[in-house]
Amino acid sequence: MRIRAAALALVALLTVPAACTRKSAPAGAKTPAAAKTPVVPPPLRYEVRLGKVTFTHYCQTCHGESGAGDGFNAFNLDPHPRDLSDPQFQKKKSDAELADAIQRGGAGVGLSALMPPWGHTLSARQIDELVLYLRTLPALRKPST
Amino acid sequence: MPLRRLFAISSVLFLLVLAISPAKNALRSYRSLQRQYRKLASSRAHSLKSAQGYEARPVAIQQIWLRDFENRVDRCTTCHLGVADPLMAGAPRPFDLHPGTPHTPGGFDRFGCTSCHGGQGLATTQPDAHGSSVDAGPPMTPPVFIEAGCGRCHLSDSVAGAPVLSRGRALIARAGCYACHAVRGQDAFRSEAPPLATLPLKTGGAWVKRWLKDPKSVDPNATMPNFHLTDQAIDELSHFLFAAQVPKELAGRIEAAAAEPPGSSANGKKLVSESRCITCHTVEGKGKGSAPELSKIASTASRGWLLAFLREPQAFNPRTAMPRYHFSETESRDVVAFLEDEFRDFDAPKDILEPLRVNQSLAENGRKLFRLYGCFSCHDPAGSGSEKFGPELDGIGDKRAQSLDFGRRTDLVRALPAWLAAKLESPRSFADGLKMPSYGFNADDSRAVTTALLALGAQGVPDRYRYAPPQKPALLPGGPVGSLIQSYRCLSCHQIGDRGADVSTAPLTYEGSKVKRDWLVDYLVLSYTLRPILEERMPVLRMPREDATQLADALESFYVDPSILADPFAGRPASDADPAEGQRLYVGLGCRGCHILGSSGGYYGPPLTEAGKRLKPGWTYAWLKGPQRWRADVRCPDYGLSDTDALRLAAYLETLVPVAPSAKPEKAARGVR
Repeated sequence: MRIRAAALALVALLTVPAACTRKSAPAGAKTPAAAKTPVVPPPLRYEVRLGKVTFTHYCQTCHGESGAGDGFNAFNLDPHPRDLSDPQFQKKKSDAELADAIQRGGAGVGLSALMPPWGHTLSARQIDELVLYLRTLPALRKPST
Repeated sequence: MPLRRLFAISSVLFLLVLAISPAKNALRSYRSLQRQYRKLASSRAHSLKSAQGYEARPVAIQQIWLRDFENRVDRCTTCHLGVADPLMAGAPRPFDLHPGTPHTPGGFDRFGCTSCHGGQGLATTQPDAHGSSVDAGPPMTPPVFIEAGCGRCHLSDSVAGAPVLSRGRALIARAGCYACHAVRGQDAFRSEAPPLATLPLKTGGAWVKRWLKDPKSVDPNATMPNFHLTDQAIDELSHFLFAAQVPKELAGRIEAAAAEPPGSSANGKKLVSESRCITCHTVEGKGKGSAPELSKIASTASRGWLLAFLREPQAFNPRTAMPRYHFSETESRDVVAFLEDEFRDFDAPKDILEPLRVNQSLAENGRKLFRLYGCFSCHDPAGSGSEKFGPELDGIGDKRAQSLDFGRRTDLVRALPAWLAAKLESPRSFADGLKMPSYGFNADDSRAVTTALLALGAQGVPDRYRYAPPQKPALLPGGPVGSLIQSYRCLSCHQIGDRGADVSTAPLTYEGSKVKRDWLVDYLVLSYTLRPILEERMPVLRMPREDATQLADALESFYVDPSILADPFAGRPASDADPAEGQRLYVGLGCRGCHILGSSGGYYGPPLTEAGKRLKPGWTYAWLKGPQRWRADVRCPDYGLSDTDALRLAAYLETLVPVAPSAKPEKAARGVR
């Protein structure tokens, strides 16, 4: 009798761990040199990165890499392109105002026609992404300027 | 009595065992996550009703059924509950809103999560789903390589919105990976590496040994990778290369050229700067660098070889991108005289161009090495048969880490991206006897190439989701025009249909509808800079006028787009279409921001001073009605012009013709620099 009971208990005890296995398996060689992988966390959010691509492609030639209004083509333009990285300017303009100026161009908002309207070229979403990226420009500004 | 007691205890134990499975399910972490989400979402809700809606949501597994993707099921939204909910913007993981991408939030139902992110959609625990537990399937793609997901469906070389992937694909093509590794769709790839038959008459033993030691140290533009050869292997390979039989005809040309009298270096200098060699070559690092550095070329190649090559590059390397320049006999001598005087490695040993005296037994060993390292894959693809030298790369993006050979690299994370990156960085570090050379990619390049490799998945993508750009007919003529296009290598920079490289940004597919024939003839004879912002300029090919006429006539008759009107003014003179109003539009729209007209304007687009001489009005009209239709990435904004306004502007540009015939356009273009 006792033997049978002990055997039963044993079976019961053995089933417990069996039902609990399949945990996350041994991590193996996971820990060493995690720093060796080329994984660098992206500093900008995805939408902002898309905005940056649009900026680099369409805007940089005049507004410059940092948005300071010093692009390759800027010195041909009178008036000069706006310094977009100026925190004062950014504070004054709402997102909607920036998007509107991009969409309708300088002439559309009563400024210089040298800033073309992009509403037929860029989608509303691209313009929104662009505005998101513009908002990051003051932080990238060099302290000397 | 003890028997009953024992029976009671064992029954309780048995019940407990039975209860484990339901209890495990009840304690699953997604349940508590879903309860947390309910609380968070209802606290963020804007109305009582929507808050109640969140509260009332049952705790249950959520899933997306991907009917098109092999009926896969993605249960990621069981934990990532807020991916499509704008309320959850900025919420903590895993509840946050998915960033807007071309496929989200609109495409969640069609694409699910795993078709971009990878990982195990069916799993409901984080380690299994993300693939961090060993017995799970292929893990998720790490976020830095996320564009690999785009590349699974988007098969074109360049994918809009995926710059890292596009760059990776370009790097793979430039490095010539496809020469050794089979990848679907790249069967036609041919390396630009030169055939080696004329090497014994081109350069010397000392130079070849330097080159084999480390090509990039000799020429930073070199595409040839470093094979990490021992000095003995280098010696044997050099002997093999110098044992090659130079084809009689080419040997004759080289020897005859070497015997010619020296030319005038001063005139050569002028010719070199006019010919815009640095559109492709670099001189001391200045230039684009798609072709070899020139500043030490006279210490790389013998005078006879340089002269013979310059006269007909394609006879020496049928795969070269270099066009044939029509220098006269004297002019080519002058060019080479200048190269000999100025572009020399003054630190090089005197005998750098001394040919090697071939030792046959060393050469025989070298022949074996040439095969062993797969040199033929790039240098003699015809001799390699159909089999590729390296393992095929299709499906590598879905390889499980367990099936990869990490060999000696115990320092690496056991994951595919780390393995790929290490393979690219130091391919020989895994085991002895590996043959893959190293390419010297920097961290950014390596990340881009790894992204492109991870895109080569084995997992099923339904055919209708695979996007390869539509094949445009190549429209390449044969006959005399075809051989002109070949010999001037128009396709090295211009696209025709879906062939050719896009260096110039101006495809020739509809050139006949775009520019006026007479202008084109003059331009081909003496080309000048149209877009000063581009570093690559149309080289002055010194094309004879009859060649230029023949090419221009062919472009005029065949390379036309039927949707571009030949005469947008419908038989009336352009002056009827109100060019004066067109001029006001030109000013009002701010075109001068980018285009030079007269003495002022921007340096972005092509100058329009003589637009009426260059452009056909039908083209101008079609362009103004939607520039992006002709080139998707063009910066010229679409102003949404009405037909009338576009016609007025076209009429205005049509009136812009040179006042008095002079060399004005060239001057204007030079003033720019």
